Amino acid sequence: MHKHLLSLGFIGLYIALDAASFIHPLHGLNITPWNPAPALGLVYLLRQGTTARPVLVLAVLLSEYLVRGVPFPWWNSLLSALILAVGYLLLSEALRRRMSPTTLLDDRAALLGWMVPVVLGTLLNSVVYLTSLHLLGLLPSGGWLTGVLQFWVGDAVGITVAMPLFWWLSGERGRLALGSALLCWETLGYSLLGLLALGIAFGLGGDGGFKLFYFLFLPIVWASARQGMAGAIVSATLLQVGVIAAVQVLDFSAVTVAELQMLAVVMALIGFFIGGVVDEQRRTSGELRQTLRLAAAGEMAGALAHELNQPLTAMGAYASAYDALQARGETGARLDAAINGMRAEARRAGDVVRRLRDFFRTGATKLEMVALRQIIEAAAEHYKTKAQQTEIQFLVAEVPEIMLLADQLQLEVVLRNLLSNAFEAVAVADVTGRQVSIHAERLPGERVIICVEDSGAGLTSQDAERAFESFYSSKSSGMGLGLVISRAIAETHGGSLWGEVADHGVFKLVLPIQESPKTPTS
Amino acid sequence: MTDNLTVFIVDDDPAVRDALGLLLGIHDYRLAVFADADSFLKAFKPHWHGCLLLDIRMPGMDGLTLQKRLLELGSDLPVVIMTGHGDVDSAREAFRALAVDFLEKPLDESRLLAAISEAFARQRKIADAALNRDQVQRLLDGLTQREKEVMERVVAGRHNREIAAELAISPRTVEVHKARMMDKLGVGSVAELVRLSLG
Repeated sequence: MHKHLLSLGFIGLYIALDAASFIHPLHGLNITPWNPAPALGLVYLLRQGTTARPVLVLAVLLSEYLVRGVPFPWWNSLLSALILAVGYLLLSEALRRRMSPTTLLDDRAALLGWMVPVVLGTLLNSVVYLTSLHLLGLLPSGGWLTGVLQFWVGDAVGITVAMPLFWWLSGERGRLALGSALLCWETLGYSLLGLLALGIAFGLGGDGGFKLFYFLFLPIVWASARQGMAGAIVSATLLQVGVIAAVQVLDFSAVTVAELQMLAVVMALIGFFIGGVVDEQRRTSGELRQTLRLAAAGEMAGALAHELNQPLTAMGAYASAYDALQARGETGARLDAAINGMRAEARRAGDVVRRLRDFFRTGATKLEMVALRQIIEAAAEHYKTKAQQTEIQFLVAEVPEIMLLADQLQLEVVLRNLLSNAFEAVAVADVTGRQVSIHAERLPGERVIICVEDSGAGLTSQDAERAFESFYSSKSSGMGLGLVISRAIAETHGGSLWGEVADHGVFKLVLPIQESPKTPTS
Repeated sequence: MTDNLTVFIVDDDPAVRDALGLLLGIHDYRLAVFADADSFLKAFKPHWHGCLLLDIRMPGMDGLTLQKRLLELGSDLPVVIMTGHGDVDSAREAFRALAVDFLEKPLDESRLLAAISEAFARQRKIADAALNRDQVQRLLDGLTQREKEVMERVVAGRHNREIAAELAISPRTVEVHKARMMDKLGVGSVAELVRLSLG
């Protein structure tokens, strides 16, 4: 039942599209400079498989009858429509191998694999169709070459511009991506720019050969560079509709319309390729972050082994010592030393586990809008009381009003780790005026820098190089791991973390400011 | 443990040093404890005997590097590696540098004690061999030039007559030198002489 409804819907839509795009027909035939209906047909065939074939043929025939009427003799017209329908069936078979149901045509290889059969297939189809029209005597003599070119342009442009849109709309992932692109303020921006560019191209450029047509590149490049393939599809569709509306309003000749359509298809293709490259690059950077996280997890496992082995080794040795003393019936200082040692080491192992759990608990990165002030205050909270107890001066500077798209827990862990290092550094130093400070300020280019400074000894150039290697620690029983994980977290947030070589401790964390959520990257 | 052997411990972790110190102290080992490779190397004396319990991963110089440096310095102190990261590469490196054993942390008490006693056994053997070499050298130093010449030829398997011809002395004199030489070295037969000369 659902299937029949879908078929009916498809036929209706196909005829509607064909009717809407039946402009500037050559000799009253199905030869127009814009023919998006086959794009819908191809997507339907690719999605529905072999059962869709008769439905497509029916749609083409019905459309021929309803949109153009049946001239005499009726069988000629029927035959030519059948030939056309078979051409589309063959093209869909050529595309089937290159278009898996999950592809979104959003990388260069998939785009090329789709585009080449479309361009060549429509050319072949055009030659066969026009030749059959000619043989059936439906075409005036001498009209063959013009007809072939016109038909080819109409089909190739119609399919190239509209098929990605239909393809995306017919799959859930594509619908979601298109939806989120449409709901973005930027879409309104480049749509308005597109309207402006259309106005300039058709209004000011006028009949003088469309000198200002290149203005239309601006919205396409904007959309595809910012939103990837989704933006390219939206902008190419808007542009196509805009161009067709403009030529209808201004009543251009069929030849001019075909030329304009060539320009439109080139722009759409450029948009698709930019969008494909942008999407590819976003996926790659996403994969890179994932790899970084895995590397961090590996480091973490190694560090866990190291950090737990030391207290376990000590505990084992204390226990063996205790056994030996018991066997001798010895009681006294040495027995106490063994027991107290075991207790202390158990506590130390517990500390290691707790600190590691802090990192583990952060789990998968969960990005949400959060105020930087909130993160810094949460991280600094614990150290305020510690500062009072240990007579260390702890300065938290006024935090500027900045929103981040970040995982609050993870960034808190990073800041706590930096503060913990700073407090340990000043606790060791026997300097007067022990001081730890944290402050944040805006950097140009939508970034914020957070500095954690202490009055301790600071990093030597060798320390600065090695501080971020796991297991390297200036503390004999420290967590060589903290900075490694912290840096991985900073990089997952698209930021960076480093220590500066200075006469006092300086660690700097730079994070991107994001006032609005990004479009999801696959 | 009366023969002057010491267990040297190099580990950056104070708790591990303390616990091992307590345990080995109970087992009546003489101990010397160091927090890192550099301070051990600074204090090191060639006459130190016993064994070295060495952690690999430490700030500054790591344990395997220290092991190699000691070898370069001509040290014969047997080394037992203890590590929390027992990978094949570091084990291979340690054994190539003549480690006695390669123990994984957390340590197993019986294996630790076995490794120490094996290291001590090796140290004693090395010391015995060195002592033996010294004694033989002292005996050889007591021989006259002529006796040394005779000894070389006897060990090489020559007969008295041949030796006499080579040294241009009478076979009788050769026999006298040979008897005095064997008496000085304290050997009763040519076979014993050969064994001694092989050291």
